Amino acid sequence: MSERITRAQIPMEEMGITPGSACQGCGAALAARLAFKALGPNVIRHGVPCCPDTVTKTPQIGTVFEGGGALLTGTSRGLKAIGREDVLAVGFFGDGGTYDIGFQGLSAAAERNENILVITKDNEAYMNTGNQRSGATPKYATTSTNPVGPKSRGKEQPKKNIPFIFAAHYVPYVATASVAFPEDLIAKVNYAKTITGFRIIIIQSPCPVGWRFEPEKTIEIARAGVQAGIWPLFEIQNGHDFKLNYKPKELKPVTEYLKPQARFRHMTEAEIAEVQEDTTSKWQSLIQSDEMGKVLI
Amino acid sequence: MIEIRLHGRGGQGAVTASRILATAAYEEGQYSQAIPMYGTERRGAPLTAFVRIDNQRVRERMLVHEPDISIVLDPLIAKQQGVVESLKAGGIVLLNTAMAPEEVKLGGDFKVATVDATTIALEVLGRPITNTAILGAFVKVTGALKLESIEKAIKKYFPGRLGDMNIAAVRRSYEEVKGPIQAVVKSGVQEKMDLNVGGYGVLKDVSSWRVFTPEVDVDKCISCKACWIFCPETAIQWDEAKKKPYIEYNKCKGCGVCANECPVKAIEMVRVEV
Amino acid sequence: MVGNKAAATACKLARVQVASAFPITPQTTITQYLSEMHANAEWDFDFVNVEGELSSQVVVQGASRIGARTFTCTSGPGLLYMHHPMQTTGSGRLPVVMAVVHRSYKGMQPDHSDLMSQEWTGWGHWYVEHAQEVLDSILMAYKVAEDPRIRIPIAVGYDGYVLSYTAEPVEIPDQALVDEWLPPNKPIPEVLPDKVNKATFGRGFGGEADPQVPWKVHHDAILKIEEVHQEVMDSFEKTFGRRYGNAMIEPYMMDDVDVAIIAMGTIAGTCKAAVEKMQKEGKKVGLIKLRSYIPFPVKDFQEWSKKLDAIAVVDRSICPGKGGPVYQRLRETLYDMKKRPLTLQFHAGLGGKEVRVRDFELIGDKTLKAVKSKKVEEPVTWV
Ligand SMILES: Cc1ncc(C[n+]2csc(CCOP(=O)(O)OP(=O)(O)O)c2C)c(N)n1
Ligand code: SF4
Ligand code: SF4
Repeated sequence: MSERITRAQIPMEEMGITPGSACQGCGAALAARLAFKALGPNVIRHGVPCCPDTVTKTPQIGTVFEGGGALLTGTSRGLKAIGREDVLAVGFFGDGGTYDIGFQGLSAAAERNENILVITKDNEAYMNTGNQRSGATPKYATTSTNPVGPKSRGKEQPKKNIPFIFAAHYVPYVATASVAFPEDLIAKVNYAKTITGFRIIIIQSPCPVGWRFEPEKTIEIARAGVQAGIWPLFEIQNGHDFKLNYKPKELKPVTEYLKPQARFRHMTEAEIAEVQEDTTSKWQSLIQSDEMGKVLI
Repeated sequence: MIEIRLHGRGGQGAVTASRILATAAYEEGQYSQAIPMYGTERRGAPLTAFVRIDNQRVRERMLVHEPDISIVLDPLIAKQQGVVESLKAGGIVLLNTAMAPEEVKLGGDFKVATVDATTIALEVLGRPITNTAILGAFVKVTGALKLESIEKAIKKYFPGRLGDMNIAAVRRSYEEVKGPIQAVVKSGVQEKMDLNVGGYGVLKDVSSWRVFTPEVDVDKCISCKACWIFCPETAIQWDEAKKKPYIEYNKCKGCGVCANECPVKAIEMVRVEV
Repeated sequence: MVGNKAAATACKLARVQVASAFPITPQTTITQYLSEMHANAEWDFDFVNVEGELSSQVVVQGASRIGARTFTCTSGPGLLYMHHPMQTTGSGRLPVVMAVVHRSYKGMQPDHSDLMSQEWTGWGHWYVEHAQEVLDSILMAYKVAEDPRIRIPIAVGYDGYVLSYTAEPVEIPDQALVDEWLPPNKPIPEVLPDKVNKATFGRGFGGEADPQVPWKVHHDAILKIEEVHQEVMDSFEKTFGRRYGNAMIEPYMMDDVDVAIIAMGTIAGTCKAAVEKMQKEGKKVGLIKLRSYIPFPVKDFQEWSKKLDAIAVVDRSICPGKGGPVYQRLRETLYDMKKRPLTLQFHAGLGGKEVRVRDFELIGDKTLKAVKSKKVEEPVTWV
């Protein structure tokens, strides 16, 4: 499991080449900046189509949208073939490239326990193409393919529980992180660097354009998500050992997270109550798992 | 045929403005075409859009390379000589700026008109979205379209109260526009700025993306490094010796995250006067 | 040795470093042979058993980018599933070699519809006839693909069942000779983070001054294969004592004939037997076996056309509503010639339909008849 660090321990050196072409206040641009800062120079970055985030000094390889997991596999095997296992193959993909179109290849790479690190910038929709729903879009969120109307209340289904899905592959390391908790995020990347096998870190990365809030609120909203238990921060090792990294005495109400985002603006009191109830009950099982130090998969 | 080029930034609605113009022309029985610049639009990034209006079907499907009219939605972009590049001799440039046409530094053989669309938008709509606010001025200075047709077109894009507010902004800009006058300056200074930031990659200077600019009050700063760690663009640099932040403004897009995250409000977002 | 074993053996001889494949009839046994060879540590390589062909193509793409020598293989539907990343392997100029064990769009039996449908992906496309040629061509494919002047992936196509699963004698070259003739692929250092750089690969980032340039560069590189392939054929013969025509085509009994039949793959073998029989009967019919469809041997056919009265093209695939690809490509090639031979289109072996010696005799007779009457009565024949 990761080891806590302080702000003073965050490396000063930047790996990003800035300014990039992401929107103002883009959470994903910050996710990339923080993750690659922690990774340092000895990595090859892999990308598939998605929004621009932060360009990094690392060499970068790309492939088809659906090919992230296989490309990382190829690189990792290739590095082994040429005797350069010191170099880490890192994927930096969107939620579309992880939860949806890229899932098959990533699941297979996880099942084969490929020696790779996947980092997902989860902005909860396909933002590059203009905010269409993905498997990561939460219930009730409006997207350009979930408009609200007489027959629609936004997205009907809950967000896929992707960290647990990967944990169910019994891979060495699965973690969630948030751009609002940079020390935790960097600690997790640091830890991931020290182990081998399949590792995945999913970073919730608010998108001002798609989630519809003013860009200065990116961190505020990400923080509220964690504090309300909507996006809990945890780690799972080998599909078994479990640790909750952020445990407030009391969760904030989900409204603190939902209200500032216009994508949830249409929600009724009853719908908000439903989200609250769901969040609280999931949180309770996480607390239980944390107390036991394990998940039951 | 009238050919128009619009300059704006992602989120200001230049593409919508181009469509409103084309729709208004259609309302008047004309043929028209509104083309966005190809590429992915990012909020805050400079971009262009194009309109053609003619009394017969517009057949050319290419960008406008020599416009009759250039409309600039953004006050900072309005300072760039690039907005009048290839403008036809005797053409018109309509700028969103608080300056009078006489004060404008753009140079060449064309006419200049100005309107403070940002202030109008802030006062009428409550947000600095200048795409409709500038259209009243367009009608007044070019005479190319009627005010009623612009208003009809706006209602199609913004129904209800939002439409009424936008129409109010249009009327105000019709009243307040200054010019056109012949450009005072003979040739302007070419500052190299990309007026079309599409796609991916590293940019040189994103100053033109900002509406508000962060300013650090180092005396208030408690050296917590919050602004530094949360700036998505690494525009906030950390001075290890002084333990204080400083800003590399060419990297700052003006998102306001730093100001919002500063626990002691040592960073303020100010509107840079232009 | 069966055709698929010849392919797997070629991988071993070439000391492939990373192979990846997903089973599909009639390619399946290559996957199994490679797995066995891996389990028995027959040489030092990595075999990635993936969850689908899309991934096998992308795995070799990634490993090839790092500089490893890579191999993949598939058939029919698997190839179609790979279509998208085949394009990125091509655009990435990665020297991947792939065996395509032909399987029809319609059914499990072989025809060339699978590889023909991948024309646009930016690879070299070869078609071979027998198990020895499978083995030899895969070795040559590495030498061509990895040549710094080329760096284009190459697909080596051969028919399912009649070749993939058919046993015949194959001479296995000496490993030491192969090692000398085909030295290891050189890694591309740019992708390694040894020096800080801003390299980005394989993603269309735009910003290209002229977006047509990458297309032109890619096209020109593929055309260049012709010359390098011929060089490699010469050096292959010098080292191993075997050759296949001039690499692009393999003319068979083409001395003093009026008519040439063009055929690809296993049916070219059957055609050889037919040509022998016909010439014994005094019929002036020979065979030009087409080995490289992309790039197309334009010069060769233009030269041959001067000496021929008629050419019969046997297409083992058809683009529905458009026609036989080899026939169309050939006619296009001959358009600029002052004197053009008659051309006849024969569709044969589609959906795996057997093509027999007597079918080629019929093709020969029909073409000779056209020569005699100086006119093509029936331009298209379904054999
Ligand atoms: C095979 C394929 N289908 C569709 C697309 C179009 N496309 C490009 S990026 C994208 C969405 C990316 O979404 P996500 O992975 O969530 O990343 P984000 O844009 O949100 O950063 C889509 C649908 C594509 N490039 N390739
Ligand atoms: S659309 Fe959202 S995720 Fe994409 S660059 Fe803009 S803010 Fe970032
Ligand atoms: S306004 Fe945004 S881009 Fe500018 S310094 Fe602050 S956080 Fe960075």
